Amino acid sequence: MIEENQLQQQFQLILEQHKGVFFKVAQTYCSNESDRQDLIQEIMIQVWKSLGKYNNKYAITTWLYRIAINVAISFYRKNKHVKLITNEINEQQVQHDESHLKEKEQQLLLLEQFINELNEFDKALMLLYLDQRPHSEIATILGISVSNVSTKTARIKEKLRNRFAQIKL
Amino acid sequence: MNENELILQWKTSADNLEKSMALSKQNAKEIMKLKTKDALSSLKPIKMWAVLIGIIWVIAVDAVIIHFWDVAPYPFLISALVQVIITKIAIGIYLYQLVLLQQVDISEPVISTQEKLLHLKISSLWVVRISFLQLPIWTTFYWNESMLSNGNWLLWIFQGAVTLLFILLTIWLFINITVRNSNKKWFRFVLNLKEWSPLIQAIDLLHQAEAYRMEDRSVV
Repeated sequence: MIEENQLQQQFQLILEQHKGVFFKVAQTYCSNESDRQDLIQEIMIQVWKSLGKYNNKYAITTWLYRIAINVAISFYRKNKHVKLITNEINEQQVQHDESHLKEKEQQLLLLEQFINELNEFDKALMLLYLDQRPHSEIATILGISVSNVSTKTARIKEKLRNRFAQIKL
Repeated sequence: MNENELILQWKTSADNLEKSMALSKQNAKEIMKLKTKDALSSLKPIKMWAVLIGIIWVIAVDAVIIHFWDVAPYPFLISALVQVIITKIAIGIYLYQLVLLQQVDISEPVISTQEKLLHLKISSLWVVRISFLQLPIWTTFYWNESMLSNGNWLLWIFQGAVTLLFILLTIWLFINITVRNSNKKWFRFVLNLKEWSPLIQAIDLLHQAEAYRMEDRSVV
């Protein structure tokens, strides 16, 4: 009973202090609000179910990101057909909407489109890079080497730069 | 493109999302009522119904075999026995894999966790391969002594050819329904049922995970 109460308190604390992790993952992996809500709910459930096994040799954010990304990738796989229908943003739309969107909003739209087109693992890498996680933590979350994180991050950033350069032309 | 500005905009967007979608305390309370160890709790209703129908089917066929054991022709009894044994094995493997899937620790590193999940999902190809083993018996269950003693050679040749064809098809499907053939058109046609399209997606994702793993080895 005491253990159950402690778990509940820990869970509430995680929701208060680290809910940003859930929203960032949902923003990266889902393009519509309904899917984001479903994904956040599923992440919360899996965090609760895994809480009893938390090992404090890893930082809580590392542990949370692992669970959230694993859930998101599994969730994303189930809803992939929805992604194909809702992903209607294209480069022409970004260019022609100049009169309605400020440049910064355009850039954000383009970034979201770019992330949407990445594969599931590159999405995770991009999310963690944008959240300014150190390479060592990204490596621990994904389970790859630090040098591989650096190489892959550089490659994705280069692709992103080229995408922005194409729009400006 | 200013990298720092982009990162700031993305973070602002995420913060705005957080404000617009507050986590409900009521939601959290409902979640905490869930038991932490519940292997089959997330089984979708439609899959539960499929398993239930499968179990009802094997019970019904078992009952028919037992009831008609003394009077039914041997081809019918043997065909029914083979069919029910294959179905039981397929259901057993399916349920066992579902339990194993639930036991994967998703707080482990992403790439290795996804590989485990995907290997488990893909091993459900065994359910498909084993299910196809019953194809030939659907061409033999109706055989009877009258047909064998009164039928002419043309009938025996035709019937034999049909059964042989199904046996060869079964063997071919059993050997070739594997991950390495997952990009072939016939594979996607055979597994085109809604139940199996996540399996095809799982195979694609596994290739991505393996590519990540291989790149990791080459960089290190």
